[in-house]
Amino acid sequence: MRTESMPRPRRAAPRLLGHGLTVLLAAAALLPRVARSDDAEGVREIRVERVKPRKEKYPTLRFLKANVDFIRAREDRLSEKPADRKGGAESIDPRFLAYRELLARIMAGRDSIARLDDQRQKEQLLASVTELGTLEQQLDQMDRQLSDQRTRLAVLEKDFTGDQRTSLMVVLSGYPAGAAIASVGIQLEDGGVLSVPLSDDQRTTLRQGGVVQMFHGLIEPREQVVSVILNGERWPSGDTGYVSLDPARDRLTVLKLDLSTVQVDPGAPSIQASTWVHDAGAPPIGS
Amino acid sequence: MTHIERRPARGLTSRRAIGLAGLALALLGFASPPAALAGHPAPFAAKAGVELAQNAARSWAADAQLIYVENDDDLDDSGAAVRWGYLFYSASLDQARAYSVRNDKIVQAENLAMKFQAPPLAQNWMDSGAALQAADRQVGHAFRQKHQGHLSAMLLMRGAFQDADPDPTTWTLVYTAPHSASLFVMVDASAGKVRRTWRG
Repeated sequence: MRTESMPRPRRAAPRLLGHGLTVLLAAAALLPRVARSDDAEGVREIRVERVKPRKEKYPTLRFLKANVDFIRAREDRLSEKPADRKGGAESIDPRFLAYRELLARIMAGRDSIARLDDQRQKEQLLASVTELGTLEQQLDQMDRQLSDQRTRLAVLEKDFTGDQRTSLMVVLSGYPAGAAIASVGIQLEDGGVLSVPLSDDQRTTLRQGGVVQMFHGLIEPREQVVSVILNGERWPSGDTGYVSLDPARDRLTVLKLDLSTVQVDPGAPSIQASTWVHDAGAPPIGS
Repeated sequence: MTHIERRPARGLTSRRAIGLAGLALALLGFASPPAALAGHPAPFAAKAGVELAQNAARSWAADAQLIYVENDDDLDDSGAAVRWGYLFYSASLDQARAYSVRNDKIVQAENLAMKFQAPPLAQNWMDSGAALQAADRQVGHAFRQKHQGHLSAMLLMRGAFQDADPDPTTWTLVYTAPHSASLFVMVDASAGKVRRTWRG
């Protein structure tokens, strides 16, 4: 069974907002959405094709390509010229400097909460009225920490709301009865293969109706073909299917791959795939 | 005494309804641009596609910068084209990637096979329509009249054709004619002035 992840090219690191398998059983933001997605409006069933769909090619930048040697030579000459004026540094947005401080405070807050929690557990053994008073003070302090946290999150949300980027989340659901899947891979048109091995726990999660996130990253807002690759004992060299996606600009598009319908013989094309735009906003602060 | 007779309202006969529907369709046909009727994508000026291309480029590389713009389809008299190409360069990837935009959609995305590193374009460049007006006013219109020529390309870049002052972002317009050398007109993309013309 192949379980290793194939390396992504250089650009993978900045693009991936978070990858690897994350069980979303507790992720209330998405799971209810997935659970009701079958009958929700906007959910579109998509075929997983055996043969990669052909796309029309459009020639682009024809003048540049025809004259690139000349233009490049001109540009190269420019880059050799020394600058005749001093470069002045621009002042940094003070908000960006404040983020570091905010993060430090968040970490400090987390440490003190953990310390207080630990202390509180010990103190529960000593049931005296005085200690209960101290406990109340500590709970107040924790409450204050949470309040500060809310304020800091509000600052971050204020600065970044509206900066939604076009992104894709790929989630897995279900598990086939008659075929063992060792790993699932995806490949975007302009990227390398991301192969994600399924652990025993994750397989159990999928069997029990859970959802597993396998990819969450930025994607170009254009019609494109995503390759889905199944690996397992019955597909030692991988079995590939293709889904066509047109991610909505500045929105999060979710691609759900339901593995429960997978059969050995058709392989990847027997995956039941569906897609929708995830409209739910960020959960309220403090919830 | 005048007696006004109120006639009962009558429903439309099917013949009348068909006639009115036909009239409405005919009027709609006159009101709509031919391109939209035929389902053809509408021409647009270069700036209109930048935002979408930039959005895609930021997904490709966080440090992507727009370095070059060129019409990917024929230009009309207002400096608009059905498709424009936008080229971005990422220093971290040391790679250039092109997006071709038509009808507010990216119809082609590809990495440039050859190495091409140009300085990023200025933010406030004038749109293709204004650049064409400036070029036409000074030399372009006369060239077209004299040589039965037409505008074949508009290129927005920085530095390549201007040795003396390479920093400004400029439009280069290429007029071609069947029996004459092409005319190149370089327009400053911020001031809107023709900086240089040459034949080649």
